[in-house]
Amino acid sequence: MDEKKIFLCDNSIDGIFTAIYLAWSSGFGHANVKLEEKCEKGSFANLELFSEYIKVNTDLTLSVKVSRSIQSKISEEAFQMVCRVALSDYIGKADLIYRFLIKGFHIGGGILEHLSDEVVNKIFKINKNVGFEAHHLLGFVRFSEQENGLLFSSIEPKNNVLSLIAPHFADRLPKERFIIYDKKRNMAALHIPGKQWILAEVPDLKIGDFRAFTDQEDEYRDLWKIFFKHIVIKERINPKLQRNNLPLRFRGDMTEFEPDIEE
Amino acid sequence: MVIQEQMSIQRKLEILSDAAKYDVACTSSGVDRKGNGSSMGNSVGCGICHTFSADGRCISLLKILYTNECIFDCKYCANRSSNDVVRASFTPEEVSELTMEFYRRNYIEGLFLSSGILVSPNHTMELILQALRLLREVHHFNGYIHCKAIPGADPELIELLGWYADRMSVNLELPTSESLKELAPHKSRKNILKPIRQIQLRRESNREFLGLPDKSITPKKIITGHEDGDIKEIITTKTGLVPYQRNSMIKRNYVPAGQSTQMIIGATKESDYQIMSVSEALYDNFNLKRVFYSAFMNVNQDSRLPVTTDGPPLLREHRLYQADWLLRFYGFQTKELLDENHPNFNVFLDPKCDWALRHLELFPVEVNKADYFTLLRVPGIGTNSAQRIVAARKSAVLGFHDLKRLGIVLKRAVYFITCNGMTMYPIKIEENFITRQLLALKDQLPLGIDKDITYRQLSLFDDASFQPEQRITLKLANI
Repeated sequence: MDEKKIFLCDNSIDGIFTAIYLAWSSGFGHANVKLEEKCEKGSFANLELFSEYIKVNTDLTLSVKVSRSIQSKISEEAFQMVCRVALSDYIGKADLIYRFLIKGFHIGGGILEHLSDEVVNKIFKINKNVGFEAHHLLGFVRFSEQENGLLFSSIEPKNNVLSLIAPHFADRLPKERFIIYDKKRNMAALHIPGKQWILAEVPDLKIGDFRAFTDQEDEYRDLWKIFFKHIVIKERINPKLQRNNLPLRFRGDMTEFEPDIEE
Repeated sequence: MVIQEQMSIQRKLEILSDAAKYDVACTSSGVDRKGNGSSMGNSVGCGICHTFSADGRCISLLKILYTNECIFDCKYCANRSSNDVVRASFTPEEVSELTMEFYRRNYIEGLFLSSGILVSPNHTMELILQALRLLREVHHFNGYIHCKAIPGADPELIELLGWYADRMSVNLELPTSESLKELAPHKSRKNILKPIRQIQLRRESNREFLGLPDKSITPKKIITGHEDGDIKEIITTKTGLVPYQRNSMIKRNYVPAGQSTQMIIGATKESDYQIMSVSEALYDNFNLKRVFYSAFMNVNQDSRLPVTTDGPPLLREHRLYQADWLLRFYGFQTKELLDENHPNFNVFLDPKCDWALRHLELFPVEVNKADYFTLLRVPGIGTNSAQRIVAARKSAVLGFHDLKRLGIVLKRAVYFITCNGMTMYPIKIEENFITRQLLALKDQLPLGIDKDITYRQLSLFDDASFQPEQRITLKLANI
């Protein structure tokens, strides 16, 4: 029996694309290779017996090559989908993308219509899931103004959607300095007026530093809570529907669900 | 009435959001507008929900009344002039500042400004206009604004307001002119339809001017189903447009997100058939984006109105929305769903299931061959599922296993489709059998109001409020 070659890569779009390039050009054959990405905590999944592990160092030039081939040989839409899947929290996404690309490069742009194919279908489902969460967060992100005028927001999404939501806010608030901080991954999207927004790893950011509000900020938080309370039609109260539309996991970072401290 | 000179902004917001909560259309959809790089705001075509209140409704816009003072005395309204409630009014500055600061913190997608009628329709509209101009011209707000046009106001004012708003709506209030006369004596249906028509014509001329495609260019159907004299009259009268009042500073289109309207359901005697016919006529003739339905609540405990001790008629509202979707996206017509002998929707089944059960001769449908619109008529298959089926069957012959993988919910569809000429398991295509199977599904009733209904279903003693459902209970007894 041939030894299986397992390519271990970083949990990022570039890491996964680099591994795809190396696995593809390795000449081992598609059936004999497997891709594995680092878990979010930085470790890998269970080790397998009778296989050889190959560590992949992320290489931007290789990653760009893969991006370009997907865009030109499959389609822009497929590329966007693959990127969103690479940002998801699905375990085994690197290998899934690899299998999808084998089919994609063979069939071309039409691959997106092969919905009854297992791999294509999985890609579709994960893509939709990531898209939904990103869309939800466009609404659920809450900024609070700091003394120096900086807008700060913290989120805790399942998928790594920061890079999907940041462009929306940069477009919406061009004159504001803002931070959207992903608590789970210690990453943040930063924006300064007149410049491109950037994605940064911020291991020593402390949320506590951003909890001192000005009087004006406190006033608007109160006003928002007042509005939220008074817009309810009492005869129609329906917690099931509310929970269905706005899952509890988002509420921790939302101003209107903060318990009132006064009284 | 106590006149309070200095009311805090907190207190005003309490009163005026409380007063605005019965307005239904809190959507921010219909217009895609990128940020301009210098001022705050953009807009997303599909709309964004920012939070959900305890009643489960989406909050997308800062929904407030400009004032809850009102010279009118509509019987169903909490702000009617004869009610003794605390009255408050914002100033244009307060409205614009609240909007800007809320928007900046990403609480909201924009502003939804409605109002009671202070002094006169014209005076009120001028105040609303002032608030909008402040937002757009001083604060350079580029987000979403939905505002009400007040019937009876000068056409010039409505014309001007349309250049500042993204969506406008005029409330139809009640489905027919008779009930309007009865419950809202100060309002007339023609007065309500006139501004709707005016906005429609200006939108069309603006879109034509810009060379934008417009669905409404297709020949119009005059009145579908139900004869509606008012609508006919407004549509056929030649209304000269008010001269263009576009300010050269404004770089927006006229009401780009279109207009909507809303009706109160259950306050008057109209049947679902009448209501849906009115909606259909509005969609066909006035090119409305949405008609909203609002389940009636007797907030004033007025003896001339029906009592709502069991809570508002939420299920009826839900069925009307379902049917509304069928009209707009599924190619159904009101007369297919309802008619004089069958004027109300089935309480236990959604309108599409109900329709399919009465047209079993058209089923089963072969998934691999049927065209898109035939697929859309299968219960359990929506626009997404139909599109996915049409795409997927290009590359493979679909079986039931594939349908499941495509995410198509089979629990309803299974009685109405075949794959390769076979049903999933032997099924009797027979009305009573399928009805029984469909009734056993829990999801026929929306979240949160399901408990209530099962209780009712078990009740042996039908009370008076059970009236409209009698026909169905009889039908159930036959099974």
